[in-house]
Amino acid sequence: MSPARRASRRALSITPAGDRHAAPLTRLLLVEGRTELRRPRTLVTLVVLALVPVVIGLGVSVHAADPGADRPGPGLGLITAVSGNGLMLPITALGVVLGLLLPLCVCIAAADALAGEAAHGTLRGLLLAPVSRIRLVWIKAFGVLVVAVLQVAVVTGAGLLAGLILVGGGDQLLTLSGSSVSLGAALARLALAAGWTVLQVAAVGAVALAVSAFTDHPLVVLATVLGGVIMFGLLGAIPALDWLRPVLLTSGWASLSDVLRDPVPGDGLTHSALLAGVYLVIGMTGAIVGTLRREA
Amino acid sequence: MIRPDRSGTICSPSAVVTSEPRPDGAMRPDRAARTSVPPAARLRGLRKVYRRTVALDSVDLEVPTGAVLGLLGRNGAGKTTMLRLLLGLSRPTEGSVELLGEPMPVGAARALPHVGALVDGPGFLPFLSGRDNLARFAAAEPLVRTSAIVEAVDYALHRVGLDREAAIDRPYRGHSLGLKQRLGLAAALLAPRRLVVLDEPTNGLDPAGIRDVRRLIGELRAAGSTVLLSSHLLSEVEETCTHVAMLSAGTVVATGTLTELLEADGPALEISTTEPHAALAALRTGRIPGYAERGLVIADLVDTPPEVVLSTLASAGVPVSEARRRRTGLEELFVRLTEDGA
Repeated sequence: MSPARRASRRALSITPAGDRHAAPLTRLLLVEGRTELRRPRTLVTLVVLALVPVVIGLGVSVHAADPGADRPGPGLGLITAVSGNGLMLPITALGVVLGLLLPLCVCIAAADALAGEAAHGTLRGLLLAPVSRIRLVWIKAFGVLVVAVLQVAVVTGAGLLAGLILVGGGDQLLTLSGSSVSLGAALARLALAAGWTVLQVAAVGAVALAVSAFTDHPLVVLATVLGGVIMFGLLGAIPALDWLRPVLLTSGWASLSDVLRDPVPGDGLTHSALLAGVYLVIGMTGAIVGTLRREA
Repeated sequence: MIRPDRSGTICSPSAVVTSEPRPDGAMRPDRAARTSVPPAARLRGLRKVYRRTVALDSVDLEVPTGAVLGLLGRNGAGKTTMLRLLLGLSRPTEGSVELLGEPMPVGAARALPHVGALVDGPGFLPFLSGRDNLARFAAAEPLVRTSAIVEAVDYALHRVGLDREAAIDRPYRGHSLGLKQRLGLAAALLAPRRLVVLDEPTNGLDPAGIRDVRRLIGELRAAGSTVLLSSHLLSEVEETCTHVAMLSAGTVVATGTLTELLEADGPALEISTTEPHAALAALRTGRIPGYAERGLVIADLVDTPPEVVLSTLASAGVPVSEARRRRTGLEELFVRLTEDGA
């Protein structure tokens, strides 16, 4: 049978799915997640993020092997604390990438989600299917969240492996307070740190998605949001603007190191988590407003 | 039931003229659109302003169900803007849009599952293959069952002649212009459609591709779908469409069936003869209005059937080598209408 005949015979088995007005949500979410994972940029960000803890691990082990390493290195901070303390590496790595690399990576995903789709002309195709605009925002937010979770998971996982293999001392965690914590409790703290980081990154992602909803140019999203992250960092560093710090998302990021203290002080982590929640709500509202107003 | 004239009747001398040019050059609204079957699409008093640019102004148009309506206009006349408003991709500044009886953009969820569209060129993700891109869109189609996504993609590819194309499984970014365009057409055909909107469908296609698009439009029409087609190619519209709307500087300057527009100057017979003076004299004697033009004798058919003209000439002994119904031709009409407006 010719391919044409086969195709037309197959066509006979296509029956419309009733008078449905929208495709099933799970199907759309599944396709969105799969598309995100096949995006070359997503894969590149995952590789780059995985390299960070490995590089830290290598640096720490080389530093430890250096006979003149007794001198405290300037500005190494958390990294010196990792020395011989492998379980601290993943949390340290999360703190390092949260500064700029992780916001950049999640921004790339959010920029592609709406602005990038608009630039490729695919947003039109989805709206014409039709996927309702509000639904589209939630689907896109899901895609960005999937990427954010993966990015944090990769840093955490690679950090854990690098810590255990390159740094060693993985039977217990030596906290910044000087006490020791068992492997199980250390992993629980790691999970807390990872979850908290996902929330922070999701907040950045939501704001980026909002910007993404208002533009057709993915680079505008990157410039705006990363510019914002850097600007927030500057504002947070100015003593005269101390009163502003409680509302700056980036100022809360320092509280990640609280996870490494014993007992864990909850104030900073809770406040920064709530703040991230507020940014998340603002970002999603902006994304919905922008998408509803958008000329596709 | 509306039976729009088939494009094949363009050359038939029996075509009936149903409307006359209005003083402003615009045509009356299509008669068929006033019958009881609701139109597939209806635009009323549509106006669209981008910042300070008026893209569309007071556009009224009905797309009769079952018709193949060609939207003609130069680049920048507002064709794509109009289609985007029709599909709810963009909101009108003023006026109303109805698509398959649903007000747009509010009724998008009810109307759009039955509408396939290729607007503003094909749009696909560059890193996915053509096939995977189609599967992604098929997954978003309400009328395609999850288990039928692969079949829907295969069938759409088959309809645009891509079922044997190997490149379809390679990333979209490397596709040729023609392949991209065909994929765009396939995306419009992923589900059974009541209306198919094609914005410049033959862009980037080779002659074989253009023929395929014509065949596709014919198939859609035969299956009962309404087709709305925009183009700046007059020949394309003349060969595929039953109805025509001409757009110039953001407003509709003429609508009607293809036949109505082709005979917009009034029916007349063009007669080739070696003795034009004798022919004119014979027409005068028979009280048939006529005149000479570019070596032809033109006989007015408003009050006289062509048979009478021919028998008058024959009985006067005028040698007639050829007689045919005069067609203004879309091109002439188009140039005249759009140059006045622009």
